[in-house]
Amino acid sequence: MRFEPTDTLYVALACYALGTIAALVSLFINEKRLQHTGLILMIGGFAAHTMWIGTICARTGHPPITNLPEAASFVAWVVFGVELALWIRYRVYAASFFVYPLVLLLLTLSAVVGEDFQVLDPALRSNVFTVHLLMSTLGTAGLFIGLAFGLLAFLQDRALKNKTRGRLWEWIPSLDVCKSVSYRALAIGFCVYTIGLLAGVIWSYRTTAGLMDIRVKQIGAITAWILFGILLQSYVSNTYRRKRMLFVSAGAFVAILVAILGIRG
Amino acid sequence: MPLILVGLNHRTAPVDVRERLSIPEPKLEETTEALRSIEGVDGAAVLSTCNRVEAIISTRDEDVIANIVEWLATRANTVRAELEKHLYILRHGDVVKHLFRVASGLDSMIVGEPQIGGQVKKAFAAAVELGTADTLLMQVYENTMRVSKKVRTDTGIGEHAVSIPYAAVELAKKIFGDLRGLQVLLLGAGDMGELTAEHLHQQDVKQVFVANRSYDRALELARRFEGSAVQFDAIDEHLGKCDIVIASTAAPHFVIEPFQVRRALDTRRSRNLFLIDLSVPRNINPEVGSVDGAYLYNVDDLQQVADANLELRQAKAKDAELIVVREVEAFRKRLVAQDAVPTILELQQRLEAIRAAELEKCLRKVGPMTAEQHAAIEMFSTQLVNKILHYPILQLKDASDEPQERESLRNTIRKIFGLAK
Repeated sequence: MRFEPTDTLYVALACYALGTIAALVSLFINEKRLQHTGLILMIGGFAAHTMWIGTICARTGHPPITNLPEAASFVAWVVFGVELALWIRYRVYAASFFVYPLVLLLLTLSAVVGEDFQVLDPALRSNVFTVHLLMSTLGTAGLFIGLAFGLLAFLQDRALKNKTRGRLWEWIPSLDVCKSVSYRALAIGFCVYTIGLLAGVIWSYRTTAGLMDIRVKQIGAITAWILFGILLQSYVSNTYRRKRMLFVSAGAFVAILVAILGIRG
Repeated sequence: MPLILVGLNHRTAPVDVRERLSIPEPKLEETTEALRSIEGVDGAAVLSTCNRVEAIISTRDEDVIANIVEWLATRANTVRAELEKHLYILRHGDVVKHLFRVASGLDSMIVGEPQIGGQVKKAFAAAVELGTADTLLMQVYENTMRVSKKVRTDTGIGEHAVSIPYAAVELAKKIFGDLRGLQVLLLGAGDMGELTAEHLHQQDVKQVFVANRSYDRALELARRFEGSAVQFDAIDEHLGKCDIVIASTAAPHFVIEPFQVRRALDTRRSRNLFLIDLSVPRNINPEVGSVDGAYLYNVDDLQQVADANLELRQAKAKDAELIVVREVEAFRKRLVAQDAVPTILELQQRLEAIRAAELEKCLRKVGPMTAEQHAAIEMFSTQLVNKILHYPILQLKDASDEPQERESLRNTIRKIFGLAK
């Protein structure tokens, strides 16, 4: 049996799975060394993941974002890349408890769906369409990071207010760090995502003479955009701590997952 | 060479005994030299903190212990029998284990406290500088500092604050992260408030404002923290500016109400406000705690944080003890092996000489042979000697840490193999 470059997907998946398990176990036994082991495994997975993405680019000649597995994998890759950068800057361990499972989930989706590499339909060969795909995918990654850190900020605020320490107390950085990373990720992610959506509308208008199809993907994307807008506004108005923002975050997370899954439709 | 430690600490001696033996820092070198000058002492170091005084020596003669106890009794201005009730005497491996535990903060009154590591370092550094630390004490010193660092890094035993002022600083870090650039408002001049402000000042906060009913007292405190004094009536204005407020006044009523905090937060955009109420009766209305963006902790809350941290340290101490046990065993093996090196070398030389002489005799008797045959006989003799030496060397390297037992084993092996005494 020969090892193909495309098999790096499974290497990445295995490393991500082991890394996620190590990180989650470290949470329960409160062991920093295991958390480091998890991080090293995740970095190994990230390297394999990068090779897989490179293979797709080399074989198809376009960015790996034209179908569901490619887009899910690309979002996972960007999300982990940003998480790694944040870890280097702030040494935030707690985000890994949310980010690693998300990265694993997205890459598993990619492996399970497993569509063949596609040569682009001539209708899709346009700069506007590339901008749409790239910006929506990058925006999605930013919004995921914003959600993860927003959740940490919420948990930290609750712990400080109630004077109780949960399991995550030791792993979560300061409230200010959580808040500022979440706000910046949401602000950047929201702007980039908005450009992606606008590019999609323009492309749709040019190719189908309509502003957009109304399908699950589009409904998910618009709903996510509105909910992320509300979340962003809550940071500006300093109401992000309120409990209802948790529901908005959950709704935004589901909506954006629907938008990703809808790429197939 | 045996290691001996004679000392007392907060568990074995009351403070009046400890204070009589305590050595002020400027007198440390003089005392170390005095210990070294006792007959029979080869290497000496003295550790003196508010909780312990310990004489650590290396010696070839264990009888020297009596002289050291006498020396300590003279220093404490008491009779030997009286002092002996409070003393502990440790030998060899127990000394190493004790020092590893002490430097790691495992033997401290507050488990994991960080100052003791520095105090142990100072004691040995003084001995090294004076030349009273011999090779053995130098090795003990290096390993003690290494193990102390390992324990603190691997377990994080000293990371959590166990006093109220430090707990307040720890919480401030949980809210703001980096405290540099923050502004602090100290209301009143209570001791605990001053101490907390002092700790925050040490964290390089940007500015400390002090408000007190007596403006002169406020000026005095402000000078101490390189800050500014403000009139007590102007605290509303400073609530909006400051990130941390410490209330420690003797006022029998609330001096900060929720409406003031709400107004302050409105001017702070989304910046949080940390309020520490150290006064009894309380100075900050507890309702302030329910204002979004305001985090209020009173003295009981901070005590709970400190207690929880102490429990956490105690849990981590169990992991730390395991590290110490492992390290003591590794150090013991290294020392014993090192101690056995001269005997092992002599043994190898002796058997090699026998081998070479017998081989030569044998070769003369056998007569001419091929190079391969010569090499085979050479190899056979070498392997035979190595096999014979294997177990004696193993025994020498893995001997007990009791110097007398080691000496006895060495003598037996020397006798068997006919080595010079």
